[in-house]
Amino acid sequence: MELGAFVVVPGGKDFTAIREVRPHDVATVEKPRPLYCSRMPIVGNDVLQSWMDRIRKLGVKSLWLTSGRPDGTVTRSELAGFAQQGVKRLLVIKLNSYAEMDLVDLVRFHCEKRNPVTEAQDARGLLGVSLLDHLALRAPEEKQEDPSAAIHSGRMAYQFSGYAKRILSANERQELVGDALTGACGMRPFGKQISEQVWVGEGVDLASSARFVGPTYIGERTVIRAGATIGPFASVERDCVVDCGTTIERSTVMPQTYLAPGLLIRDGVVDGGYLEHLGWGIVADLRPAGLGSRIPQRELRRPASCEVPHEVYAPTSKAPVWDFTSSSAATQAWLQVQL
Amino acid sequence: MNILPFPCGTSATLRRAQRKVLLSALRVSGSPVILDLSGCPTLNHEGIELVLECMAQVAGRDTQLLFVAGSRANQALLEVTRIPSLVPVFNSVEEALGYPESAPGNGTNGTQDQRANPSQKLWSA
Repeated sequence: MELGAFVVVPGGKDFTAIREVRPHDVATVEKPRPLYCSRMPIVGNDVLQSWMDRIRKLGVKSLWLTSGRPDGTVTRSELAGFAQQGVKRLLVIKLNSYAEMDLVDLVRFHCEKRNPVTEAQDARGLLGVSLLDHLALRAPEEKQEDPSAAIHSGRMAYQFSGYAKRILSANERQELVGDALTGACGMRPFGKQISEQVWVGEGVDLASSARFVGPTYIGERTVIRAGATIGPFASVERDCVVDCGTTIERSTVMPQTYLAPGLLIRDGVVDGGYLEHLGWGIVADLRPAGLGSRIPQRELRRPASCEVPHEVYAPTSKAPVWDFTSSSAATQAWLQVQL
Repeated sequence: MNILPFPCGTSATLRRAQRKVLLSALRVSGSPVILDLSGCPTLNHEGIELVLECMAQVAGRDTQLLFVAGSRANQALLEVTRIPSLVPVFNSVEEALGYPESAPGNGTNGTQDQRANPSQKLWSA
């Protein structure tokens, strides 16, 4: 195999599903920058799917997925296991950004420069996309385990000037939501447009007295109750319930979130019972006050046809249910996905 | 100006007693009252309910009620429940004591509804 593709999904062991994910370590109520799982949908889109589409254009037939270590990295020795299986060049994508990157151009750049390691970066720094030659993985083990940090001398930066956002940051995530809603990037809301700049997913239940101010997005099977106001620049993802009279502006509500009646959610990201204020960078626990909570899996309005094996996230009935096969090539769990 | 601590005792009995004292004080107070939530790390449903009761106690009277959130988490919860649109909320007792003179200079956090809530100027960024 000439080129192997590897995607590291930070944010927990259960990286094949996008349920039961919440900001980490929120035992304290004021903690800056919680880490969101990169599998959380953005206006109904799965960022992993967008990277898979780009990888497919390279002619690669499958990729390997892992959650990596707790800090979201993989070790050089793990990747070396794949190199020993005949992979000559490794494309490693840490799923911490959405970038409209032409991977064909990245590979061309890497081949032209003949460097062991090429790392994509934009004006704000590394994007988590690296290309490694198998020879780069043969460096001595003792000094550095991180595959990209191991080969300082041979590292080459691929300067990316296209659209990119870091999706683990609540602020950049919200910027991406705004850009997707206004057409400022390639991502489009996943659903049908019901009025100007208002998109809804399948199976939504919208009260007739609810107001929708575009640009805004309502995800699949979400319930918006009487008198609620959603938008502008709001994204309420799938399987949420927004109770009577609540207003959501310039905010994202993550999947499976219940919001109590009469609330004002502004400039925030709500994930289950937690609210991150985008301006202040703090996380407030809504649960003790009864203002918000995670909707249990069993209470979802999911039709039987939407059930997928192994809780693999499939955004639509048209999307393929990925064929996961575990690997023994490394000590960490790697799952193979057919593209 | 009276400064009253917000009840946040560890036992339910203590909180009930503190609540009674607080509501009685609000009932008879003729001067502005600062309700200081600094002792409460985060508001639960009892706390939100009591905040609303305090507002009801002074409603329709000349008594000015001011809240000191004490923490960003409390500020966020008060904002979510739309309380700053009805009662001015401050970061600290010092800021509240400066009210209304301090109001224009404090800046805004830019997250309040300016049309509905003139008191949003009282929030510090």
